[in-house]
Amino acid sequence: MAKTYQNPNIIKRLRADYFSNRTDTTLTLIFGACAAWALWNLISWGLLNAVWSAEDRDLCAHGSGGACWAVIDARWRLIMFGLYPYEEQWRSGIACVVMVLIVGLSCVPWFWNAKRISALWLTGFGIFYVLMRGGYFGLTPVFEQNWGGLSLTLFIFATVSLIGMPMAIVFALLRRSELPWISNTMGVIIDTIRSLPLLSIMFTFAIVLPFVLPSWMIGDKLYRVIFGYALFFACYQAEILRGGMQALPAGQEEAAKALGMSYWHRIGYIVLPQAFRNALPPTINQFVITFKETSLVVIIGFFEILASGNAAFGNSEWNFAHVEVYAFVALIYFVFVFALSRYGAYLERRMAVAER
Amino acid sequence: MTPQNHAVRIAEMDKYYGTFHALKNINLEIAKGEKIVICGPSGSGKSTLIRCINKLEDYHAGSINVLGTELDDNLDNIDEIRRETGMVFQHFNLFPHMTILENCTLAPMLVRKQSQIEAEQTALEFLTKVKIPEQADKYPGQLSGGQQQRVAIARALCMQPEIMLFDEPTSALDPEMISEVLDVMVSLADEGMTMVCVTHEMGFARQVADRVVFMADGEIVEEAAPDAFFDAPQQARTQAFLSQILGH
Ligand SMILES: Nc1ncnc2c1ncn2[C@@H]1O[C@H](COP(=O)(O)OP(=O)(O)O)[C@@H](O)[C@H]1O
Ligand SMILES: [Mg+2]
Repeated sequence: MAKTYQNPNIIKRLRADYFSNRTDTTLTLIFGACAAWALWNLISWGLLNAVWSAEDRDLCAHGSGGACWAVIDARWRLIMFGLYPYEEQWRSGIACVVMVLIVGLSCVPWFWNAKRISALWLTGFGIFYVLMRGGYFGLTPVFEQNWGGLSLTLFIFATVSLIGMPMAIVFALLRRSELPWISNTMGVIIDTIRSLPLLSIMFTFAIVLPFVLPSWMIGDKLYRVIFGYALFFACYQAEILRGGMQALPAGQEEAAKALGMSYWHRIGYIVLPQAFRNALPPTINQFVITFKETSLVVIIGFFEILASGNAAFGNSEWNFAHVEVYAFVALIYFVFVFALSRYGAYLERRMAVAER
Repeated sequence: MTPQNHAVRIAEMDKYYGTFHALKNINLEIAKGEKIVICGPSGSGKSTLIRCINKLEDYHAGSINVLGTELDDNLDNIDEIRRETGMVFQHFNLFPHMTILENCTLAPMLVRKQSQIEAEQTALEFLTKVKIPEQADKYPGQLSGGQQQRVAIARALCMQPEIMLFDEPTSALDPEMISEVLDVMVSLADEGMTMVCVTHEMGFARQVADRVVFMADGEIVEEAAPDAFFDAPQQARTQAFLSQILGH
């Protein structure tokens, strides 16, 4: 007996999923009502009763019953650019766009070969650095100490990824070396660093390291912190990659050996591409965490976006509006992290097609 | 250099896995153009033996010489020998993240430094020879086992090796796909390729082999031309094995 399956229409489906019996119906009604109430409150607070313009500060100070987006209108440049000199903030703005652009472009498969990706990052970082730091082309110098806000967050994230990822690959390869003294040493290093809190690593690199390094190696505090963070990133990512490599059947490397491929060719063309595929979900996860934890640099005195946000309401003029500032900063984090997760999902689909 | 008339010469070779003596005093000489079939019970060391020929496994005593190159710890020698020997595995081991064509062109481009155009031309030639040129742009996961194994053969041939090593190339295949792979191997043999095949396909051994080598417990127990081997085996262990797999 042949039956053809028909897609049920939406009413039928709703009824089946949410109103199939008395309990279901009751639950649906209760939770539906709660959700609707919460949504309505959010809209009326965030949109209908909100105060939008900085000139209306007094209005929200005396309580309009809605969100005081006026604080964002008044202080957005502080949130986005931190302590960067006011007249030069356009540079920081363009630098942000450049950084987003290179991160975005490196997600495009066309850039996925050594030449293109390195050209992209070198140019991108060059432009970013010249814009932010100045000192060339008649731009007034602005020292790293005064960088801040979103461009600092993006800069830290991108640099940590850029330095950390190659380091992670090297660590993972050393970790699986056939010589026990190499793999064991690497194992101890990785486990040690992973068992330390990121905060203490940043602190060590920022404050303690200058006492032990020769002066020419010290560099700016920002770069020391970034290096420490990259090391931390690399140790986690190395373990993730090692997991991805272990999932490879031994036959893959053997086939490559039998074809006469050298160690580096085997690693570059057979092992790593497949290890990254296997390890894609935890790798994206690692990037998300890294992005969010950039906010820890505040402890050694850098005003990344969350710290700039704190400064934005940290005076008597706007001190009642912290919820709105946090909501705004959260939105910015959300945009970046959500884009990252969606990109991860896209990659997984793309690879699923290749390996079907 | 003196011309070599042997393709592989293994002399007094021993191999251990830890304390386990996996290969015991192996002596085997394979002439150029010769086809050898190696058979024997599971665990007798067949895979270990042919994997020693291209140094996928280390050996611990004796010597192996392939095409005049001594297989020792010298990495250049190992590379040299691997370039000249192709290998086909039981489980195909195609690279799942590359298309069939990329599987076939990768090593010639990296190792033989061929241009992409040149490598692709050769690849299509060999894919035609194994009768699947139309699958060139698919991924291994989209092919049947028999097709994958034929690609694996083509991939090895693209390096234009002097010697082909086969380790049970049909054991992982569904029965109806075995003959398509054997056909390719037979035509390869007809063209004069030097072949070392670990297989239990006795029909293939009779038709193609110049010599059958029987192994048990890490030793070469008996070697003979196929007719003599199948019809008048000398050793008790050979007789027992043959009666088992031939079912009488
Ligand atoms: N990597 C290994 N480590 C330890 N023992 C092994 C390893 N590979 C094979 N052996 C042992 O060596 C013997 C020969 O194995 P193998 O050459 O695979 O046999 P065959 O291919 O004839 O079935 C077996 O007893 C097997 O258990
Ligand atoms: Mg075997």
